[in-house]
Amino acid sequence: MNIEGKKVIWKEYQKEIAENDFFYVRSCVRQSFFPGSETTFLKILREELGKNISEHPFHTTCTGIAYHSDIVPFETTMTVIARQFALMTEAGFHNYVPSCITSFGMYNEVLDTWHHFPEVEKKVRRLLKEATGKEFEKPKNLVHSSDIIYKFRKEIAEKGKFRLINRFTGDPLRIVEHIGCHYAKIFPNKGVGGAEYPHVLAGLIEEWGGEVIDYPERRHCCGFGFRQYLVKANRGYSIACSQKKFESMKPYKPEAILTNCPGCPFFFDRWQYAISEMEGVTYGEDGQGIPVLTYEELAGIVLGYDPWDLGFQTHQVPVEPLLDKIGIPYDPARKYLGKNGENIGKPEIASNLKFCH
Amino acid sequence: MGRLYDLLNQDVRFIEGLKACINCGTCTAICPAAEFYNYDPRILVTTLQSRDEEQIEAILKSDFIWYCGECMSCKTRCPRGNVPGSLISVVRSLSQDLGYFVESEKGRQQLAIKRTVGEWILDHGYCIFPQGVEPESHPEQGPVWSWIAYHLKEVYGRFDANYQEEGPGILRKIPQESLDELKRIFDVTGGTERFERIEEFSKRKAEEMGKEFSPGQKSEYYFHVYNTNNNKHGKDEH
Amino acid sequence: MGGKKVAIIGGGVAGLEAASSLAAFGIDISLIEKEEHLGGHVSQWDRLFPSRRPAKEVTGHLTGRLNEKVTVHTGTEVQKIERSGKSWDILLNNSATIVADALLLATGFELFEARKKEEYGYGIYDNVITSADLEKKFARDGEIRNAQGKIPERVGFVHCVGSRDEKVGNLYCSRVCCVTAVKQAVEVSEMIPGCEVFCFYMDLRMFGLDFEALYKESQEKWGVHFIRGRLSEAFENQDGSVLVKVEDTLAARPLKMKVDLLVLMSGMVTSSGTKKLVDMLGLETDENRFLQPADRQLRANETGIPGLFLAGTCTSPKSIDETISDARAAALRIMEYLNLPAPTLTPSPNWGRDGEGAGTNNQ
Repeated sequence: MNIEGKKVIWKEYQKEIAENDFFYVRSCVRQSFFPGSETTFLKILREELGKNISEHPFHTTCTGIAYHSDIVPFETTMTVIARQFALMTEAGFHNYVPSCITSFGMYNEVLDTWHHFPEVEKKVRRLLKEATGKEFEKPKNLVHSSDIIYKFRKEIAEKGKFRLINRFTGDPLRIVEHIGCHYAKIFPNKGVGGAEYPHVLAGLIEEWGGEVIDYPERRHCCGFGFRQYLVKANRGYSIACSQKKFESMKPYKPEAILTNCPGCPFFFDRWQYAISEMEGVTYGEDGQGIPVLTYEELAGIVLGYDPWDLGFQTHQVPVEPLLDKIGIPYDPARKYLGKNGENIGKPEIASNLKFCH
Repeated sequence: MGRLYDLLNQDVRFIEGLKACINCGTCTAICPAAEFYNYDPRILVTTLQSRDEEQIEAILKSDFIWYCGECMSCKTRCPRGNVPGSLISVVRSLSQDLGYFVESEKGRQQLAIKRTVGEWILDHGYCIFPQGVEPESHPEQGPVWSWIAYHLKEVYGRFDANYQEEGPGILRKIPQESLDELKRIFDVTGGTERFERIEEFSKRKAEEMGKEFSPGQKSEYYFHVYNTNNNKHGKDEH
Repeated sequence: MGGKKVAIIGGGVAGLEAASSLAAFGIDISLIEKEEHLGGHVSQWDRLFPSRRPAKEVTGHLTGRLNEKVTVHTGTEVQKIERSGKSWDILLNNSATIVADALLLATGFELFEARKKEEYGYGIYDNVITSADLEKKFARDGEIRNAQGKIPERVGFVHCVGSRDEKVGNLYCSRVCCVTAVKQAVEVSEMIPGCEVFCFYMDLRMFGLDFEALYKESQEKWGVHFIRGRLSEAFENQDGSVLVKVEDTLAARPLKMKVDLLVLMSGMVTSSGTKKLVDMLGLETDENRFLQPADRQLRANETGIPGLFLAGTCTSPKSIDETISDARAAALRIMEYLNLPAPTLTPSPNWGRDGEGAGTNNQ
């Protein structure tokens, strides 16, 4: 494989990412399943990078999951999104940053629709006014939160305490990157690096000392499929997609999977568990799973944050083996403790997946 | 032109998404649903393109249109600029608005999504509300979810969340005023009507099938649509 | 003889044929070619469809027909063009100036840059090559090996790369790639007995008289497999082989396959030489950036500008025989424009068989 060929493409798909003054909207899935990640994002931006990033307490879901499950009409989603923009306008911001990739895709799709069909934008403005009395301006800059970490990856590396290197062998860690489908597949020029060879996560891995691993099914959807997971009867599709990816990446021996979408790490994490239960098959070394990380978790590792502040205890596939490789210190005894060190219970041990307690 | 085609053609996503298919199969080649299910996005597009009322009505009533996972891998590649993934949204919308969705096993599942994701949006302002994600119906989420689900406040509290409290933060309580605004948005944009139709058509179907139907996630009909898979959806089944 | 002069920009098939056609009537020709060699793309090819005759035969014939009336300027580019009255002043990059009564643009095509079809991985995966790369292997190496030095056991041909594709901004068909793929499929089968060859096509455009016969031969004699599905994606396996994803649309099933070598049939796009002249002369192009003649059916060699003519693939994709016919048509139009009296034939080499038809010679 000739990496120079990819670099040419990466240069062609660069986009403008704002410097500061961000209006942040949260992700439904990440709040529920990876709460440490969003907290870490805000911490990195405010405390490490000194940025102004605001979260409006009245913002809601963008309805992306409902939209892609087709229970809400397009007008409804567009008007809810218009309300979000109105909150941004009221708060005096122009740079809009969603935490969710489906949202990012949604916002781009809506803005593109309004661009091609101005009468639809007019109609939505009218509907928003009717329902809420609000008016909005469209954002001047709309990027995903992973784009911002990408933009400041050098600064994060400089402040970093750890590199993505196996301290026992001295080799860079082999990391597979997985980009959420709605990041660049809908509008390739809205993704750093485009749709075929995105750079937003590869860039982080490279900058922080790791090795990017490519494999045949890299572009394949993780399998969320919205209704294909939300309804129990359909979950076979979802797990089959993830399994296809695991089987494809296995020969390349990845040591971690890095993702930038809310759903993807959730599915990679949980489906490895489910496959280990159903088939006794695991994909990491020695009966372990391959740890799945969000980009904030990876940044947090590099910056030397406490792994339990980052939220690794909410993962099903243990991340400790990766932390050990890098040399990140952690206290296993504190893994499941509450905010003030209190006992708040702990999960049971999985049968087939080597699980760190 | 037929009634159904005319209805489809009113949706701006139909106009954007159907741009003359040449049957090249580039979309189907990388479609995950085409890999696992008896689905073919190329056939979806050519069926719509044919403007044949009978064929369109048939797919609106069949499992066929419910297999897509809306990953949009098709959009990236189509040499004519078609978007099967968007066209799927359009036909699913019409299928629900006309009540055709209850004629297929996969279509009937829309009730389950409305009663979870849909109601969470209006009741809490989130698409996913952890209190509603029961470990029993989500065994694949593993023991770690069971732990979190029974200690929501404490676990989220570990991360400076603001679990169901006012102000910013993870899983904050979204103020009633904002939820009221959401509801009014749903009312004026057809969202409420969509929810009502899903309920109404499902209720009729439940009666037809002789299954108990009531709100929430415990009724016989709900359990049936949430769990039933006739195992005839695979690539070689017809 | 009237002393008329015509300048031709482009020394490929069209430029050569127009030059010799005009020179046969005693017109002075300046033939300007930016490469060091004449013959354009054909000079880089091994054998030509449908007969598989050596390309050298064709380029040899064309260059052989040039007589002493033709002054060839290879390795030369045009820097500036000015109009003074009815004549053209052409400044070359070697500081020489050519003055001509008529100007013919025969700036040809370039091959679509296959790397722009990112999902096929040209320039990233070592065993993904273009049809031009393959032709060089035929011409230069006389054998085919993949990047690992192995003789491929399975070769895939991908039709329509950079053609009929909104995503790269080329909405048209490049016309000759289908028959080229079938020709190369046959040649690979000939060179590597037992090699499995697959063509992934959308439509098989076998428009020329003997093309269908070539297609039939490829199937009957060589067992080439034709799969009706446009390639969606290619990826490189660990062993260097290429994994491809298509839909076999006739069977309505997605299909994944491993090949040792993947050949991309890159289409024709407007050349950089043409682009330069468009800017210099303010020429009209169509939506696919080919030069727009005054009327594609009735005045295909004329522009809106008197004294400025077009020939060859700079106006649209063409096969070699079509290009030659088009070049002769352009020559005739130029003659009309120059308003010559009764034509004066000067014998030129390679005219007809055994030197017959050496021309009515009324000097």
